Amino acid sequence: MSASDNPDDVFNVKKVRRLIKLMKEHDLSEIDLKQADHRVRIKRGGEVFTTTSFPTSQPAVRAAAPEAPAQQSAADARMLVIKSPMVGTFYKASGPDTAPFVKVGDRIGAEKTVCIIEAMKVFNEIPSGISGQVVAILVDNGAAVEFGQPLIKVDPEA
Amino acid sequence: MFKRILIANRGEIALRVIRACRELGIETVAIFSEADRGAAYLELADEAICVGPPRAADSYLRIDRVISAAEIGNVQAIHPGYGFLSENSHFAEVCRSCDIGFIGPTPEAMERVGDKNSARSLAREAGVPTVPGSDGLVSNEQEAVKVARDVGYPVLLKATAGGGGKGMRVAANELALASAWQQASAEAQAAFGNPGIYIERYVERPRHVEIQILGDQHGTIVHLWERDCSTQRRHQKLIEESPSPRLPAETRKKMCEAAVRLAKAAGYYSAGTVEFIVDQQDNFFFIEVNARIQVEHPVSEMVTGIDLVKAQIRVAAGEKLGLTQKDIVARGHAIECRINAEDPAANFRPCPGRIERMIAPGGFGVRWDSHAATGYMVPPYYDSLVGKLIVHQPTRREAIDTMTRALKELRVEGIKTTVPIHLEVLANTAFHEAQVDTTFVERMLAK
Repeated sequence: MSASDNPDDVFNVKKVRRLIKLMKEHDLSEIDLKQADHRVRIKRGGEVFTTTSFPTSQPAVRAAAPEAPAQQSAADARMLVIKSPMVGTFYKASGPDTAPFVKVGDRIGAEKTVCIIEAMKVFNEIPSGISGQVVAILVDNGAAVEFGQPLIKVDPEA
Repeated sequence: MFKRILIANRGEIALRVIRACRELGIETVAIFSEADRGAAYLELADEAICVGPPRAADSYLRIDRVISAAEIGNVQAIHPGYGFLSENSHFAEVCRSCDIGFIGPTPEAMERVGDKNSARSLAREAGVPTVPGSDGLVSNEQEAVKVARDVGYPVLLKATAGGGGKGMRVAANELALASAWQQASAEAQAAFGNPGIYIERYVERPRHVEIQILGDQHGTIVHLWERDCSTQRRHQKLIEESPSPRLPAETRKKMCEAAVRLAKAAGYYSAGTVEFIVDQQDNFFFIEVNARIQVEHPVSEMVTGIDLVKAQIRVAAGEKLGLTQKDIVARGHAIECRINAEDPAANFRPCPGRIERMIAPGGFGVRWDSHAATGYMVPPYYDSLVGKLIVHQPTRREAIDTMTRALKELRVEGIKTTVPIHLEVLANTAFHEAQVDTTFVERMLAK
């Protein structure tokens, strides 16, 4: 499968460029498209992707980058992120001397409180919404967070 | 003076406030919804905080999130812009109780003038002429019939909680009144959550003339003369200008003085606008007060040379206006065209989408206030204003010519805009001869 001029082919250069443009416009970090047994997955952020041929069953459009990130980005691709539903200050525990709600490696259910976001002196417990294993805590304790900000990365398949 | 201000708005007015703050040496915190993420004007703020998903009700109107953003953004004051929370007295009250300055009037003054009906009472107390009408809200259809008979047909039914030209119905005679009453009440409840209706005589072919007022917290209130906003379509302003052409000097003087009297009676400070309608005999009648900075404020800025947004910020910080009425001189003629992303050929249907190419006009006496640029995606969730084109020249004739030239220079490709309609109005003889009232645009379009 190589980049072609056939407009019906998912790897058509124009189509891929248009997809990348759309991603930038709408600030999408990832898209994953399937057509018959062809697949295009494009991920933004840090790496520049251009079209190239890729003979495996999971073609990812990417630039001259080492092989290892391909496996890493495949794993990364399945990660889910708990995002902030509000504007406020992030706290990993209910008090300065208490243990954090979650730490990396914990297995959690969707109802588990993962953090507190404080706004206008009200401390809001934030539920996970995702079950899986905590992979990373993306925000520092006491940091300001905006709506939609990624807080905690969870592996739903672990 | 404030060190940091949060702008609780978006688009061109957010940019306008950011610019004023940059000149005053004040840091800015902008807020944005996910639909506005990545907009170029946000980069001009010192910090930008996402407050929610695209819909205004879930983002710009979320008082809790705006206040939280103000907290984490460490600001001393909030500028509400226009629309959104700018005339929400509860929001102004929340700011006050959180010890955050609200750049606008007090919640009390806002309430006194914000409710259309109470503003009418205040006007009468202040000796400001009002349109003959009901003495307060009309409770039911039977009362409406009685009031309409006293006031004289045709009558206008208006929602007391309405604004922005919405929630109004005309009844030409008693036969039409019943259905007009039912529709108006239902609409008022649905649109504003308040079914209250009052009745006024409907003035035929009125001119819409409004007075810009400005007050400080030390008791000084001045006016910055008038703006004529008669060029409207469905109660939405298309073109505004100052001075109001064909307005007798004596009428202008009386209107300006009336506006200041009303503002004083309401205990109003900051920027505000007192709206009047003027009939064919040059009688003027008070309509309502807009307790905020308005879209068309640049028109007054150009003729008076006064930066209204900076003035608002200074007033909110407790400074004295430093102006007396005789300092405020109007020079030349200014016109503003609101360039909206709407298709005039398709009944002004909104045209959100990507601006493939934009070129702003320039030159002597041309001002372009816009947050848009090439590549900008006009979102479908908010108003359709792309930019405001303002010109200022020594005479009205020259202002019309410059505006025509600037409109032709302006390029907004990829979406439809109202530019063709503006050009049509500016080429129209009735407009040149200042024979314009609020029915003019619709009559012109109907031809």
